[in-house]
Amino acid sequence: MPPENGAYMVAAYVVAPVILVGYAVWLWKRSKQ
Amino acid sequence: MTAARAIVRRGLTLVTLAFVGLAGVYVLALGHTPIEARQGLAQKIFYLHVPAAWCSLLAFSLVGIASALYLWLHEPRLDRFAAASAEVGVAFSAVMLTTGPIWAKPIWGTWWTWDARLTLTLFLFFLFIGYLALRAAVHEPTERARFSAVVGILGMLLVPFIHLSVYLFRTLHPQPIVLKPSAPSLPPEMLRTLLSSMAVFTLLYIGLVTTRYGIALTEEAREEATDAS
Repeated sequence: MPPENGAYMVAAYVVAPVILVGYAVWLWKRSKQ
Repeated sequence: MTAARAIVRRGLTLVTLAFVGLAGVYVLALGHTPIEARQGLAQKIFYLHVPAAWCSLLAFSLVGIASALYLWLHEPRLDRFAAASAEVGVAFSAVMLTTGPIWAKPIWGTWWTWDARLTLTLFLFFLFIGYLALRAAVHEPTERARFSAVVGILGMLLVPFIHLSVYLFRTLHPQPIVLKPSAPSLPPEMLRTLLSSMAVFTLLYIGLVTTRYGIALTEEAREEATDAS
């Protein structure tokens, strides 16, 4: 029976795109200036 | 200016495609890849952490190579590329340094340990934060390019130590699973998901660097126009 640690997986799967999409949006805004 | 804007547009198109690919990787990792028996769902963090680590080490290696070539050839495009790759590398490092501890807490029982791999990686991250701060502080373009090229080369020298640190030192960090002399030690479904994610992250790296390069070109053209007027 695998351990119950799905909350950590969810946290990582939220944090990663927040950083990457956030950076991409910042670049996009910078390109509009 | 028009050429620079075209480069930005091309970069943003690649970034958009990469994010669509990332959504596909999520479907693959969460819906079509088996759950590892000992680590449970936390093992799936691996499909984000490893590609982020790959892209950050690729980015910093290319900063070093472009910097060395800049010192030799004095070609501004190499300096511009190094600056773009360093900034994108810092973004991927941020993903690596957040997803790593989130995986470590349930598996190791601690968010962080000061072992060789983790400490060197954190040091590399700070070194490239310093690289970006240096670039922001020096305004004369040739001087900025020369100083930052030296830091970029020093940063690149850390990369092989980070990759080999799991062999050279006693460490908690898992050994390489794909980039090693023998065949990858992963079941085929897991390997397929990992390689797909690595391809998508690499595309994202290319898209972000292209965008950042185009922005630098636009900013330089604007500065030149201001100086001329």
